[in-house]
Amino acid sequence: MTKPKVLVVDDEIHIIHVVGIKLKNNGFEVFTAENGQQAFEIACQEKPDVIVTDLQMPLVTGLELVEKIRNNAETENIPVIMLTARGFEIEKGQEERLRISRCLSKPFSPKELLKSVEDVMLQKASAERD
Amino acid sequence: MKSVRSLYGVCAVLTACCLLTAVIAALQFFEVAEGLSLNGWTLISLFFLGLLITGIIWLGLDWFSLNIAVSSFIQRFQQDTNEHSTNIQQTLVSEKNLFNALKAPLSKELNEILNKYLFQEQKTKEVLKKQIENLRLKLTLAENQKTNIQAIIFSLRDAVIVIDEYDKLLMANETAGRVLGFDYKKDRHKNLEKVVSDDKKPFVEMLRNSRQSKVEHKKSEIQLHVGGQNRCYDCIISCVRDNQGNVCGVASVLHDISREKEISRQKSGFVGHVSHELKTPLASITAYAEMLMDDEAKDENMQKEFCSVIHNQAQRLNRLIENILNISRIESGLIKIEKIPVSLTILIEEQLGMIRGYAEEKNIKITAQQPIIFDRVYVDKDMISQVIVNLLSNAVKYTPSGGEVRIESEVDENEEIVRVTVSDTGAGIPQKDIEHIFDKFYRVEENKDKAGGTGLGLNLVKTIIESVHGGRVFVYSEVGIGSTFGFELPLCKTSVLESV
Repeated sequence: MTKPKVLVVDDEIHIIHVVGIKLKNNGFEVFTAENGQQAFEIACQEKPDVIVTDLQMPLVTGLELVEKIRNNAETENIPVIMLTARGFEIEKGQEERLRISRCLSKPFSPKELLKSVEDVMLQKASAERD
Repeated sequence: MKSVRSLYGVCAVLTACCLLTAVIAALQFFEVAEGLSLNGWTLISLFFLGLLITGIIWLGLDWFSLNIAVSSFIQRFQQDTNEHSTNIQQTLVSEKNLFNALKAPLSKELNEILNKYLFQEQKTKEVLKKQIENLRLKLTLAENQKTNIQAIIFSLRDAVIVIDEYDKLLMANETAGRVLGFDYKKDRHKNLEKVVSDDKKPFVEMLRNSRQSKVEHKKSEIQLHVGGQNRCYDCIISCVRDNQGNVCGVASVLHDISREKEISRQKSGFVGHVSHELKTPLASITAYAEMLMDDEAKDENMQKEFCSVIHNQAQRLNRLIENILNISRIESGLIKIEKIPVSLTILIEEQLGMIRGYAEEKNIKITAQQPIIFDRVYVDKDMISQVIVNLLSNAVKYTPSGGEVRIESEVDENEEIVRVTVSDTGAGIPQKDIEHIFDKFYRVEENKDKAGGTGLGLNLVKTIIESVHGGRVFVYSEVGIGSTFGFELPLCKTSVLESV
C-alpha cells in the first residue's frame, strides 16, 4: 500500500525534523523543504497529498508558495495546512481565496498537527468520492 | 410834547409883535402913517429892533427844535442799544456763560443744587478720565498681547493658517508657508487656493468644507508632500465666529506626526518580529518536549538529540528576552553595572561555546583568532558577553549554509585599546542601510526574508559599548561578500588592576 505523501516546509530545521519524525512514525512519507522555491519544485515533482508550510520564510513566503501551487494545474488541488507564528497574518478572504485548509499557530502540538493532516486527507478523499 | 407846542405859540406871538413894530416903524419912516410923530432914528431903531427880536426868537426856536430832535434820536439809539445789549447778555447767559451767570449771588437752595451739580460733574469727569486711562491701558495690553500671540504663532513649529469667509489668507506663520508652499508675508490677503500648489488644494477644500459645514472643530490626518518627502500631519480645523455667532473664517493647525507615525510603525513591526522570534524557539521546545513525552524518540540517541534541541532553543529564547530586557533596563537606568577587569580572550571563548551549536545546525564554520598577550578590559562581564553573542549569532543568522564566521581580537598598544571583529560570508548590507544599522528596530529590507529579527540586537551592542563602556562600534560590509562588525574597548589600566 502506498504511503500518503506530506511535504513539510519551514526555514527552521528543528520544526521540519520534529514534524517529519511525527508523520513518519504515523505512516506518512515525508518530503522536506527549507524555503518556498524548493518546496514548489518538490510539490510539482512528488505531488504530495498534503502540504504543511510555515508562513514566514525567506525568498518565497508561505502565501506566495500557496499562490504558485494554486496557479499550477498539477498542484492546484493539493490541500495546504499553514503554520503561523503570529496567528493574525492571514486575512479571512485570503485564506478562502487560496483554499487554505487549516491554520495552526506556533507553538503547535505535533499531535494536533498529525490530526489536522489526517482530517484534511479525509476531507480530500471525501471530496474526490463526491 | 405839550410844552413844546406852548413854546412854539409864545414864540409865534412875540414874532408877530416884533414884525408889527418893524412894519409900523417902516410906515412912519416912509410917511405912510402920518399919525405917528416919531423921529427918523427912533423909527429906524424900532424897525431893526423888531427884526432883531424876530431873528433871535427864530434862532432860539430852531436851536430848541434841533436839540429836541437830537435828544430824541439819542434816546431812541440808547433804547435800541440797550435792547441789543440785553438780548446779547441773555444769549450769553443762556448758552455760553452759564457758570459766569451763576456766579452771581444765588439763593441757598439754588447754590446747594449748583454745588451738587458741580460735584457730580467733577466726579463724572474723574470717572471718565479713569475710564479713558483704563481703556488706554487695555488697548496697550491688547496690543502687547497681540504682538506676543503673533510672536508665539510665528515661532511655532506647527503650521498655523487662518482664512476668511472668502478663502483669503488672513494669517499664516513661516511653517505654514513652508508646508503649503507660499510666501507667508507676501501672500497675505490673497486667495489661499491661488497661492498653494495643486497637490495642496485638497487641504484648501477641507478648510472650505469645514467652514460651510460650520462644525466647531474637526480633526483629521492628511498626507502632504513637503521638501521632497511625504509627511503626515495631524490637522485641526476650527471655525472662527464673529460677535453674532456667524462663521467668518477658519483657523487650522497642522502638526507634523511623521516621526510618531514612523515610531508607531516600527513598534508594530517590533511587536510582530518579537512575537515571531519568541514563538519560533518556543515552537521547537514544545514540539520536542511533547515528542519525548509521547515516546516518539525511538532510541537513546534520538532522545538526547531532542533534549539538545530543547536546550539550544531555550538558550536562544533566553538571549532574545535578555536583549529586550537589557535595552529597556539600560535606557531606564535601572540596570546595575558591575565593571571588573576581564580578559576578552576568555570571554570570547566562553561565548563561542554558546553559539557553536547554532552554527553547526546551519552548517556554518566558526573560527577564532585571539592574542596571547595581555588583553584585559575593565567592563561589565555579562554585558560584554551579550555583545559578543549578539555579533556572533547575527553573523551566523545572516550567513547561508556552508558559510564561515570568523572572530578575531587584537591589542593596539599605541591606542591602548582592544579591537574585536566578527566577520561573515553572509548577505552583506547595502550602503544606504549602513548608517542606520545600529538604530533601534532598524532592519535591512533586503535581508528581512533571509532571517527573522527584532532590530534590537545591534542597538543593544552599540548602547553597551558606547554608552556604558565608552568604546566604539563599527561596521564594514559589501553586498554578496559579507560583513564585518566590531568594537573597541579601552585596555584596562594597571592602576585599576592593582586596586582590584
